Parts: sequence; C-alpha cells; structure tokens
Amino acid sequence: MKMMFNVFSKKLFGAKYERLTRTMLIYLIVFWGLYISNFQVRIAPFILYLMVSTFTAGVMWQALSSEDNAVNMQNMVMLPFERRKFVFSYVAAMGIYTLLTKTAALLAVLLAVSVWNWIGLLGSILCAVNAILMVAAIFSLKRYWYVGVFWFAAVFAAIFWSWDKPWFILSILANSILAFLVLRNADGYTFYLQEHKGSLAARGHKHHSVWIYFYRYLKSHKNYFLNTVIMWCAACALPLFFRQMDRLFAIPLGLAVLSLNTPVCILLSCDHALERAVRFLPGQKKTFCIPYCFFIFLCNITADMFFLCSWQMQIGGVAIETIAAAVFFAMQSAVFSVLLEWFYPVRGWKIESDLWHHPRKYVVPVVMLLLAEVVWNIIGGRI
Amino acid sequence: MSKPLLTIKNLSAWYGSEKMVLRSLSLDLAEHEAVGLIGLNGAGKTTFLKVLSGLLTTFRSDDILLSGRSIKVRERDFKLCRYTVFAEDNSFQYFTFREYLSYVFSAYKEKMPDVSELVQGFHFEDNTDILLKDLSTGNRKKAFLITAFALKPKLLLLDEPVNGLDFESTEYLYQQIANYKEYGTVLFSSHILESITLTCDRVLVLEDGQICQTFESGQINAAKIREALRYENDV
Repeated sequence: MKMMFNVFSKKLFGAKYERLTRTMLIYLIVFWGLYISNFQVRIAPFILYLMVSTFTAGVMWQALSSEDNAVNMQNMVMLPFERRKFVFSYVAAMGIYTLLTKTAALLAVLLAVSVWNWIGLLGSILCAVNAILMVAAIFSLKRYWYVGVFWFAAVFAAIFWSWDKPWFILSILANSILAFLVLRNADGYTFYLQEHKGSLAARGHKHHSVWIYFYRYLKSHKNYFLNTVIMWCAACALPLFFRQMDRLFAIPLGLAVLSLNTPVCILLSCDHALERAVRFLPGQKKTFCIPYCFFIFLCNITADMFFLCSWQMQIGGVAIETIAAAVFFAMQSAVFSVLLEWFYPVRGWKIESDLWHHPRKYVVPVVMLLLAEVVWNIIGGRI
Repeated sequence: MSKPLLTIKNLSAWYGSEKMVLRSLSLDLAEHEAVGLIGLNGAGKTTFLKVLSGLLTTFRSDDILLSGRSIKVRERDFKLCRYTVFAEDNSFQYFTFREYLSYVFSAYKEKMPDVSELVQGFHFEDNTDILLKDLSTGNRKKAFLITAFALKPKLLLLDEPVNGLDFESTEYLYQQIANYKEYGTVLFSSHILESITLTCDRVLVLEDGQICQTFESGQINAAKIREALRYENDV
C-alpha cells in the first residue's frame, strides 16, 4: 500500500515531494502577509465549514475526474493489486494533495483575515477530510449519482443547521466513516476514466471553423461548460452583493470578477499538442489567436450582460457608457488572457485541477481591478 | 549534390540546464532529396526535428540557412516552407480530418487540392468526417500524413512516420516518400531500417547528438547501417 501511495503521490508532489514544501512555504508567506496587514473580517463558523466543504469537494471532484488521470492510471489498474489497497492509496494521495495544496490555500487566507480558534480550525479540517472521503465515495457510485446529490444535500443541511450542536463533530465523523465503508467496497476501476469515444456519425464540415472547434471543446468538457454557465448565473446574483458599494466601483469590480472564467482561458495550457501545433503552423496569430480572443470575449460579454441586466432590474441606472465599459472590459480581459496563454502558458502542472487554481488566473482580474480603481479615481474624482 | 535547401551549422540543443542532446551538428539538405535519420533511442532524432519545427528554444547554432538566406526557425517564411508530422499528435482533436485539412491550408494560404487519391491510398475513406479525437492512433497518424503530402511543403519533416500504420498504408507511405522528391525535400526519422533503405537518397546515422556516419545514394545498405548503429539485433 505504501508503495502504491508513493507512486500516486510522487506524481502529484514531485519525485522528492519538493512541490509540497514549495507550496507550503508560499501559503505560509500568504498567511503571514495577510495576517500582518491587520485586515479583519468576521466569518461565522458555519460559513467557514460550508466554504471549506464546498471548495474541497469541488477540487477533489475535479482531481478525480481529470482526464490526464486516465493515462496515468491505465498502467496501474491492469496490475494485480489488491482492490482495497489500490482504492485507499489512490484516494489518500488525491485527498492529501487536495487538502495540502488547495484547501490549505483557502484556509491560509481565511484564517489570516478572521478571528479563529482551535475548535473552528479542527472543525474545518474535519469538514475538509469528510468532503474528500464523501466525494471519493460518491465518485465510486457513478451509477447511483442521485444518491450522491441527496447525500451532499444532507451533509450541507447538517452543517447549516447543527454546526453549533454538541453532536455536530460526531455526526461529521459518522459521515466520514460511512464514506470510508462505501470506499471499502469500491472497485479501483471506478476511478479509471475510460477514454470517451464520441459518436462516429459523419458530422463534419468541408471547411474549418475555429468557432465550431471551440463549441465542440466546451460541449465535450461538460465541467468547463458548467463552469461557464455558473459564471453566468453568478453574474445575475452579483448585484445583490455589490448594491451597497459605489456604483462607479461596483460595476467595474463585477466585470473584473466575471472575467475569472478559468477553463476557457487555459485552452493552450491544458492541451500540449494543440499548443505545439499552433506554434509550428504558420499564421496562427491570425487564424487561431484572434478567434480564440473573440471566443473569450463572447463568454465574458455574455456574463457581463447578465450582470448589467440584473443590475438594471435591481438597482437601475445602467447607461450606454456602462455598456461601453462592459464591452471594453470584456475585450481587454480577452486580449490579456490570450496574450498570457501565448507568451506564458502554464507548464509543469500535475493534474488539470492545478490549472484551474493556478495563481495566473487572478492576473487578469487584478489588472482589471486596478483599471477599475483608476476609472473610479478619474471619473469619481471629477464628479 | 544539387542546390542546398537547408544548411545547418554547428547546432547544439539541450533540455534543462545540462542535458545536451545535440552536439555541434552540421548538415546540408539539398533540394528534392529524401534524407533518412536513424539512430538508437535518445540519439537526438526527435529533438533535431523539434528544433527545425521551432518547438525547442534551448538551442544555439552558428547559422541556419534556407536557400542560402540566414533564417530563424520560428520566422513566418520558414514556417510557410515546412510542415512536420510528429510521432504522436493529439492536436486539434475537435476537428474532423476535412476541417483540419482546410485549417492547415488556410494557415499556409494555399488552395485546397483534391486529396481523394491520398485518402484512398491510405485507406482513410471512412474516417474523413470523424473527429480526430475519435480516431485510432494509426488513423490519426494517417490524417496528418495525408495533410502533409497534400500540402507538399518545400521541406517535409516526418518523425517516425511508420509507427502505428498498418502494412498496406506503410507500403503506400514508402511510395509517397520516394516520390516526394518531385515536390521538395523530405527529412524523416525512423527506427525501421527498411523504411530508410527503401526510400532515401541519403541516410544520416545519429549517435549521441552527432552525425556519426553518412551513407550516400548507392552505399545505402541495411547491414552497413546496422553495423554503424553498433546494434547487433534487428532494428
């Protein structure tokens, strides 16, 4: 089991676990930097538990369903390993990776900016471990996915309503044990994602269209598509949170937040073969990069339009200048995202989930926020 | 040798900070010739083709000349002259073969020719409207090879083109490589001696990042090449 765990974890953390030390050091610096800034917010324990559980569950799901795992796993699953040892080694490696490289980042930020105690911290860690085990168990029950939906809903309801009850910790522990028992009966093959073969029916076109390529790409990656749709839904809800702010800052802030659509902005980083092809073929700046830029622009502007419509309905005051600003921000974000992909693609990632959470994704929104700040100062100051 | 198409002077390439793969490699490729590159695993064949495809930045050379003019491997004029078929290629997975073909021809600003003969030759008729991601490895390879032979670039680079192909397609590929001289120069790497001896005008034996021996037309002989490779078993 130790050997199997080492195989999986070395793939994720590097041959000498060097990635783990580096990541921990970065999180420590982030924690310390935020801590000494004296910026403090109040976070209710149940919000902390919910955030940690949702985030950890989401990342664990991404890690397990990462397509590149299939390639790495196919050589492992064919070997005559003992089923349970295989499953627990794999889940342990993925879980520890999620916990230490992803959840730790969230905790570092949350703990640095809030007042916390050891019980809250232990509760958060327990919630994260529970989320990892539960997601792995649900992942192994693919055919009964609806059970997973109810299970998740029940755990979330429990966190929401009983986080302050004396038996809360025990109930989370019991849930983790239940997930552990489900995993005991799971087969290693349930974690091996077979290469998806689509319909072989003729459906091609005589001439190429990069737009059709992007459409098929999104259609094929359901999680990417879902992320884009979630972003559009978030766009409708954002005015609710931003209504207290100054309109001149809130709108650009909203536009910046909505440019965080990671999956459409990592097309080249996550597909080495495509990156290689666009680099060796001639004229790709025009043939590939410009349509790609418009594709990101379209995703951004759709989210921005949902945001502005929602803003207009809830608060009002959206003028033609606001729409022009949205177009400008969406275009600027698209251009910047493509430039980053072209000149600084993310390399050396271990699983696809790393790309989704790579710090590079914040570069574009941060630039946009700085721009928003400048706009706010110029226009606000003038008014 | 006829007029040189590509001249490479003292090319060295490396990965990371110390792993030197190519060591002061110099080479002339004439116009309209088929050149085979053979060597054991790790000899530097793929790295050499990667450098020429503009995919490796960690290299240096005294000069690279295209038809006597000094060029950079990433410049547009050179890109328009060459096309590479990689040993394994999973690019543009969401295009069908026809769409990919159209995409490449638009990138090279060429008019798309009739490729039915090539499609038939490679037995690819049933796969032209299937997404590349849904094709088998061999069929995907055929899609890229058909594109290459339809495009007819001045310099065609093939990295282990025989791998993954069925027997009939392999024969057809040999024929295509041998006939390619009519349109341009082909440089291809292979582990399969037969593919080299049947098609090439010149064979370069690569060892430890250097060309250790060259077999000119008329001297190309499987036994001698095997000897040069210091490899007793069949390659």
